Amino acid sequence: MVFLRADMCPGLDSDLVRDLRAADVKTVEDLVSSNLEDLAHRCSVSYKALYAIRRVLLAQHSAFPVSGADLYEELLSSTAIISTGNPSLDKLLDSGLYTGEITELSGGPGSGKSQVCFGVAVHVSLQLKQNVIYVDTTGGLSASRLLQMLRAQTCNVEEQMEALQRIRVCRLFDIFALLHCLHTLCSDSSSSSSVEGGAVAAAVAAGGGGVEGVSLQQASVSGGSVKAVIVDSVSAVISPLLGGNHTEAMSLMIQVAGILRTMAKDFNVAVLVTNHVTRNTSSSRSCGTDVQPGLGVSWSHIPRTRVLLERVEEAGTGIQPSVRSATLIKSSRQPCFLREEFDLRFWSQTKTSTSGKRKREESDS
Amino acid sequence: MQRSLLSLPLNFSLRNKLFNAGFRVIADLQRLTDSELIHEAGVSQQDVLELLQAVRGEGGDAWSSSTSLELLQKEGESRSIVSFCSQLDEALSGGVPVGKITEVCGTPGVGKTQLCLQVAVDVQIPPCFGGLGGHVIFVDTEGGFLLQRIEDIAAAVVRHCSLLVEDDEQREGILTFTVETILSNIYVVRCNDYIEVLAQLHLLPDFLLEHPRTCLLVIDSVACPFRHIEVVSQRTQLLQSLGLQLTNLAIRYNLAVLVTNHMTTRLQGSQSQLVPALGELWGHAPTIRLLLQWLNSQRVAIVVKSPDHMEAIVQYQITSDGLRDVDESV
Ligand SMILES: Nc1ncnc2c1ncn2[C@@H]1O[C@H](COP(=O)(O)OP(=O)(O)OP(=O)(O)O)[C@@H](O)[C@H]1O
Ligand SMILES: [Mg+2]
Repeated sequence: MVFLRADMCPGLDSDLVRDLRAADVKTVEDLVSSNLEDLAHRCSVSYKALYAIRRVLLAQHSAFPVSGADLYEELLSSTAIISTGNPSLDKLLDSGLYTGEITELSGGPGSGKSQVCFGVAVHVSLQLKQNVIYVDTTGGLSASRLLQMLRAQTCNVEEQMEALQRIRVCRLFDIFALLHCLHTLCSDSSSSSSVEGGAVAAAVAAGGGGVEGVSLQQASVSGGSVKAVIVDSVSAVISPLLGGNHTEAMSLMIQVAGILRTMAKDFNVAVLVTNHVTRNTSSSRSCGTDVQPGLGVSWSHIPRTRVLLERVEEAGTGIQPSVRSATLIKSSRQPCFLREEFDLRFWSQTKTSTSGKRKREESDS
Repeated sequence: MQRSLLSLPLNFSLRNKLFNAGFRVIADLQRLTDSELIHEAGVSQQDVLELLQAVRGEGGDAWSSSTSLELLQKEGESRSIVSFCSQLDEALSGGVPVGKITEVCGTPGVGKTQLCLQVAVDVQIPPCFGGLGGHVIFVDTEGGFLLQRIEDIAAAVVRHCSLLVEDDEQREGILTFTVETILSNIYVVRCNDYIEVLAQLHLLPDFLLEHPRTCLLVIDSVACPFRHIEVVSQRTQLLQSLGLQLTNLAIRYNLAVLVTNHMTTRLQGSQSQLVPALGELWGHAPTIRLLLQWLNSQRVAIVVKSPDHMEAIVQYQITSDGLRDVDESV
């Protein structure tokens, strides 16, 4: 239950809150479930204004019933599919990363999660000319590798530099910093006009103080919008909690999940996160693989699509240390256990239009 | 989305006070003067300060943001530490990098400590010879820090540099680059168990303030103190926070972090396989992972994980002077 407060959203001022209270509409739930026409009449505000307020509140507190038709319409108008830049991965993901959704890459150390994240970041910034937010929690981001990848795709130095400028890297190493960072990204920097109250209130109004130039909205104003938010790795900051106070760890994990979802939906970005894996020590399992993504069952509901990355162990000769397999282990669009192989050197190869994949397929057959 | 008060790093009692007073989300704090806040939630002035810090995201949970172009410039400015084995340096894209964690894994006696000692000397090469001129903090958990060895390695590096002297700056520089200064700029800390290691790292920021030229942290080894923690879940958790702490130190203080690890056998079906110890979760912490092993009675180093170099296998040898390329002596 959430009480209506002034300035919860644009148009909801203290006078209106008072009038609504008088009409026995005290909470967001009350407002959403009441007859707007009737209410508009009783509070003498325009129906349109109330309707707008309800829409915003619905978006903010998305657990309310919305008609399937509305949803479908919204989906059609907003979802975009962002190519990862790698044909094998795109095939696995049914064309790429979907905006509005969380996609997860999991795998052991050196399985190539960060490499794929770099590849996506570079593709979105160079080819799609859109902004990327890269949250690095392991210190593993290598800007020189990003440059290597860019060089393989364009020899125009100016384009390379512009692309690097469109990738914003946030470095942080604990869960509270992650939450602060994600909330700052979502905060509406333009609405911090009316500051009343004390220092704490001012800090709250300023969207947490934050770091300049990082807001999903602000970024979209300065040419190009943010199309991808990458968190590499989400498990590095969550898994250290899991051994401690369980309730608190769960609560923090759910908050990370919540804000990532909001981000994906409200700002219509593709969210890509990475996760570790746990290994079944108990001998051989009948089907599938003996590894599974970390962070447990509660987290498993968060990503819409999950991909497992593994080294390809080829028996005998011809071991290719840079080949990785990607297995789809959760998807709402494609059959599970679909498997594709790709080479980490893909992002280093100079590309002339659409070569990459064809070459691999030829060499495979 | 409303940001919950639970997402703030607050102490338990302050959080409870706020909750009991009916505050749930951060927006609830809006429009209150600080004295109203103190009054309504029954908190102290000190609490308000803590709350303020938390809302602003200051303190322990701070984060930074920059474009990757800025990062690229930073990476270009901070050089890597060479190992004196040029093939290895190449496979590491220049050497042991500053600002990242590099892990060296291998069976006993394969040369992990030798590599650490070599790097601890090399990092001190003065800038006029293309080095970093940095100091070292060496956390020794296995008693492998042998003075005799480091003296030999240091003497060889000094000799090497004195042969390179060409201009006045270098002639000047070599005067203060001696075995004695090299030894005096390595701060050795002996730790007997994981508690001492953790305590040492906890104190490190203060040490770094007093010794601002420190740019290398060696832990030889991480495996020894942490391997024998009986309760696996406790071990995993400690290692996880160790990983975050080291990453944080590496980036915040621009340190090269070099740690060593043992190998252990993993059973996979009927096959057993040698893999780095301390569990797979720990394996995510180092950005670069190096495997030292014997191959046909030849020492080889395999760079199994690197953010910018494909997997590579190189030969090296350990001479009385330290780590060297193989073909040098042929
Ligand atoms: N330029 C390159 N060409 C080919 N392979 C590369 C290149 N750069 C790095 N690699 C390979 O990528 C792998 C490292 O992958 P990555 O860093 O993405 O792992 P990760 O899954 O993120 O691991 P962790 O969970 O430990 O962070 C290494 O095997 C490395 O050899
Ligand atoms: Mg990684």
